[in-house]
Amino acid sequence: MVQKRTGRVLALALAALLALSMFGLSGCAADDGGDGGEGNGATGEVETIKIGVQTALTGPLPDYGLAAKNGVELALEDFGTFEMNGTTYEVELVVLDDKAEPTEAAVVAQTMVDEGVVGVIGSLTTGATLSAIPIYYENRIPQISGSVTGPKANETGADTFFRTCWNDAIQGEALGVWAMELGAKKVVLMDDNGAYAVGLADVAEDTLKAGGVETLRQNCQSGDKDFSAQVANIKEFGPDAIIFTGYHPEAGLMRKQMVEAGLGDVIFMGGDGIRSEELVAQTGGNANAEGIYATFGGFPEEQQPGYAAFAAKYKEKYGEEVGPYAQNNYDAFGALIAAIKAAGSTDTEEIIAALQTLSYEGVTGTFGFATESDGAVAKGDIVVEGLTPSNVPRYVLKDGAWVSAQ
Amino acid sequence: MATRMETSSGRGTATAHRGAAVRRIASAMPAWVWWLAGIAIAAGFPLLNVIGVVETAWLRVGVVSLIFALLALGLNIVMGETGLLNLGYIAFFAFGAYTTALLSSPKFEIHWPFLAVIVASTLVAMVAGFLISLPTLRLRGDYLAIVTLAFGEIVRLTIINLVPLTNGPNGITGIYPPRLFADAKPALEGIEAWFIIDKPLEYYYLVLVCVVVLAVLLTNLKNSRIGRAWNALREDELAAISSGITAVRAKMLSVVLSAGIAGFAGSLFAYYSNVISPESFLFMQSVIVVCMVVLGGMGSIPGVMLGAIALQALPQLIREAAGAARSDFEVYRMLIYGVLIVVMVIVRPEGLLPDKIFRREAHEVDPRELEMTRQSLFDLEEGEKDLEV
Repeated sequence: MVQKRTGRVLALALAALLALSMFGLSGCAADDGGDGGEGNGATGEVETIKIGVQTALTGPLPDYGLAAKNGVELALEDFGTFEMNGTTYEVELVVLDDKAEPTEAAVVAQTMVDEGVVGVIGSLTTGATLSAIPIYYENRIPQISGSVTGPKANETGADTFFRTCWNDAIQGEALGVWAMELGAKKVVLMDDNGAYAVGLADVAEDTLKAGGVETLRQNCQSGDKDFSAQVANIKEFGPDAIIFTGYHPEAGLMRKQMVEAGLGDVIFMGGDGIRSEELVAQTGGNANAEGIYATFGGFPEEQQPGYAAFAAKYKEKYGEEVGPYAQNNYDAFGALIAAIKAAGSTDTEEIIAALQTLSYEGVTGTFGFATESDGAVAKGDIVVEGLTPSNVPRYVLKDGAWVSAQ
Repeated sequence: MATRMETSSGRGTATAHRGAAVRRIASAMPAWVWWLAGIAIAAGFPLLNVIGVVETAWLRVGVVSLIFALLALGLNIVMGETGLLNLGYIAFFAFGAYTTALLSSPKFEIHWPFLAVIVASTLVAMVAGFLISLPTLRLRGDYLAIVTLAFGEIVRLTIINLVPLTNGPNGITGIYPPRLFADAKPALEGIEAWFIIDKPLEYYYLVLVCVVVLAVLLTNLKNSRIGRAWNALREDELAAISSGITAVRAKMLSVVLSAGIAGFAGSLFAYYSNVISPESFLFMQSVIVVCMVVLGGMGSIPGVMLGAIALQALPQLIREAAGAARSDFEVYRMLIYGVLIVVMVIVRPEGLLPDKIFRREAHEVDPRELEMTRQSLFDLEEGEKDLEV
């Protein structure tokens, strides 16, 4: 009897949920906007447009997802109300969570389309972005990701996809260029089998090969302690330089074991994964660490023109330090609004066209988007003024500290 | 124990038997009605989208739900019918999906026709199922669960690290949409374009047809000699073997068949999603398919399908409800989802649409029914007649 009653209660609850959702279905179709309301333009006519935020608030990366959402919400305060052709536009955010999961991302993308958004900020992760791209492309909705750095995120070359974070490939190319500038003729490339490190090493290898440099590819696993096999291979190859694209714990041990094997004069270079002060201790002391080179995949925060002001605003609003890629997502929203204004229309096709020719002054620098894939730069990638593979920030370890080696 | 004997020896004295027969006829009629109603609802659902009542996102939820219904049907064979817990089931799904992605994408510039790809994907998953069944079938219960769990993880890690074949974490993009009845070459654009499946609506009907056909086949299989052998193995392996069932062969058949269904579903999934990456084949996905089977009703074919659809649609349902309130409530949908699953398992441990046998196991047996069972022990002739029906 008791069981029957609980069953009935549950059935009722489910029915209520269903009814509520039906209300949701009809509620979504009717666009009454109406929240916010602080901006009152000159002519009095107010129109609400929707911008989607596809992020991952649940799943494996909620901290990244929240930072992205925070970044966009901060941008909403700054750019969310604007005037165009005598009409005041108010932006309403549609924040949806895709759990960083591809299947869910497709549903979320379709929901965004159904909601009638004029543009989308997101998604957060490569897998989710990959499955969202075709849907936004088919429905002609511009999509700007502030955190997908994988070189192959837009392999199909959709013209609706843009990103305001740096493509990892630019750093790979920078490493190759730098090694050649240092006069290396034989270079070892070593990664840790992770997607990020492999991508970087691939691009660096292509760059070096194109420059006529002889290369040898080695790899390890993240967490490895013993590199004697790799060191023996490297010794036999006799390189001038090694490019290690993984992270500092392995890089430090690798360097130490290379020095011990008499390979101390081989130039040791790496990406931003090794640019940590901890590297010094991991190599076994200053003597081993001196002269290690590292690059950065874009302008570091201290060189981003608007970063200090952004960080202050962020801290004031959320009471915490700036989360990962928050400023890139802030810029993504700002760029989208700038494109709408440049297009003078909320027609998505015109916004896409405007994004392709946009030059936007954001927190991370003055940037536009690449219209075609070219070498390491993919279609829709951010192109920051003054940042090329040969002038990405370079650092060298001197007396246990990273100093600029520009 | 008594309840199990009931099934193996039929039920009832003459009067009780007549009553059971009447009951069976009564319950047989609605079964067909239920099936037809279910198919009609499923087939009619997209029309709601066409007339604009329901948004297109629901069609995508529908397609994914139906693909997971295929998966649940497949897992139900090993878990529900044969009683082998498989925690790495999503690995077979991945085999099917990646086979499809390799045979029909710009990755290697291969463009096989749809029917060939889907058959190949099924076969590859079946071979994988056969290979994994060789060392594992001697294991039982928890040990089998651990081995299958490890198998699922190995497959996932292999996908991530076998970059030349799978593109690693970047996944395979640009999978060509399926074309029915036509050569796959893009030159045939035009007349055959009619047969290209690339809209959510078209995928929906494609997958729906597959689900219905598979459900009918599996219902027949369940009631066949093989199905009975599986059930016997689940209930008591030793007794089943001593009754002349070749345990290894029956179990292997069940594992291979279920792997094949997962491969088939994986193929449809790869076509539908256009791009596949390792994030779709996490351990969590295996757990969710297990949940679908348990929640829907182990061993019950309509049950597991309903479980799959319910679990896939629920998050979107909650999201739509949150959309009405226009709040951050959406973030809590996975929490509510979890609570609902817990509540379901407490209230209906036997599942939404339980299998007869499992329902008896989950609840206390009616004393009258128990008495009938006791009597039937002395009434073997009647019981045998009942079994032949």
